[in-house]
Amino acid sequence: MSNIIEARNLSLSYDKKELVIKDANFSVKAKDFVFITGKSGSGKSTFIKSLYGELHVHSGSLNVCGFDLRDVNTQKVNLLRKHTGVIFQDYKLINEWNVEKNVMLPLMIAGYSKQVCKIQAHKLLKHVKLSHKAEKFPLELSGGEQQRVAMARALAHNPILIIADEPTGNLDDYSSQVIWNLLKSVRQHIGSTILIATHRIPKTLGMDYKQYFLQDGAIHEVS
Amino acid sequence: MKSLKNHISFLIPLFTLLFSIQFSTMLSRGIVNYESKLAGEYTIVVVSSSIIDREAIAQIVPSIDTIKEVNKDKYIDKLKDNMSQSDIVYLRATLPKFYSIKLKHLPTTDKLQEISTALKEYPKVQKVETFKATFNKLHQFLRLAKSASIIFTVFISIISFLLIMKQMEIWTLQHKKRMYIMGLFGAPYWMKSASLYKSVVLDAIIAAIAVGFMFLNIQYFVDLASIRDDLGIDLSNFHFFVDTFKLTLISLALSIISVTFTLIRQDNS
Repeated sequence: MSNIIEARNLSLSYDKKELVIKDANFSVKAKDFVFITGKSGSGKSTFIKSLYGELHVHSGSLNVCGFDLRDVNTQKVNLLRKHTGVIFQDYKLINEWNVEKNVMLPLMIAGYSKQVCKIQAHKLLKHVKLSHKAEKFPLELSGGEQQRVAMARALAHNPILIIADEPTGNLDDYSSQVIWNLLKSVRQHIGSTILIATHRIPKTLGMDYKQYFLQDGAIHEVS
Repeated sequence: MKSLKNHISFLIPLFTLLFSIQFSTMLSRGIVNYESKLAGEYTIVVVSSSIIDREAIAQIVPSIDTIKEVNKDKYIDKLKDNMSQSDIVYLRATLPKFYSIKLKHLPTTDKLQEISTALKEYPKVQKVETFKATFNKLHQFLRLAKSASIIFTVFISIISFLLIMKQMEIWTLQHKKRMYIMGLFGAPYWMKSASLYKSVVLDAIIAAIAVGFMFLNIQYFVDLASIRDDLGIDLSNFHFFVDTFKLTLISLALSIISVTFTLIRQDNS
């Protein structure tokens, strides 16, 4: 099976001086469910940012969804982002837009008609059990609901790779369980590759997954 | 409410800038018309001992439009009752030739001095009367008005443009988070900034039309009729469709430049 993510001797840094990730080797196969764990400040978010082109590669190679990220430009990054769905710890919803329009965003970018965007958004909101809040604005929702909207948005354009950075970091246990269940259902029904950076793997996930541990800039597979 | 305040903060400097440009244009047009009217009425009188070669004079002073010999007869005829026939004949024979010269454009004081000197150097010319004192007063006033309007426009334009740029920075900061999130999902530049461009284009058109309507109804704010009657300067030279179209183009160009510049600057930072 082909690799969706392939990192070879990858080094990442914010200021080109201090390396956050050093000579890391890492690969993820299609349809894998992968956890990246590590302590706070270990570089999980840094690594995640490099996967959707927000952080440039310092040295080594990084290939995501067939895009070589060693030498990136805006056009290439935009194209990569159309193939990935990202879920953030702080949701990153557009507060001036209602829930429906937020979910429609990746579809609008992909160039679908407004009608198609609306139909797909409603389907996804139904899936995350938020159809009744389609007209609400993000700030009118709870944290758990906002994260479900963010999930619906990440899934809207049927991405081949879903990246989540601490998706339950700001949520209570109940809301966290809802998010994990949704991610499981995405994996089972849609078959997307899912990569999650988290400091805590849920005990009752009830499915196979791979786990990597980030420490001192290196990525280790946990067997 | 916040959005309305934002739009007004952008519209006011843009309106002021366009207003000053149109005001300066209106004044400039009025002055140009007045100058050409003055040039038509303005005459230099040349006194010559004999007939002068008009082509030779026109070569020395290319800005000459027409040279006409003044008909002495009608002035001499007025003296007929008080003078003998022989004196009249003598007067007719000894009086020099008078020429009235009209220029193509109203000259500056220096240019007028040049013309006067050039004419005096012509061998047969005895005297050149430029009516410099009268001419100077009018011309100095026109030049002062023109310079004042240009300085006023430049000053207002700079201040307004800086205010527009400031407002643009506020707008882009307000849109920054939305644009960043859109970028995270692969939105191209035009899509991220479309709402900003839409807003400025709409405001640019509103500001230009508002200025257009203001100048269309300027007679209610400024007594143009008395300016025309008292000073002879016609300021009712605003052409609504042409001038509003020009103002719209200026307004759109300035707005698009300012928003693009601010977005690029923010992108780089």
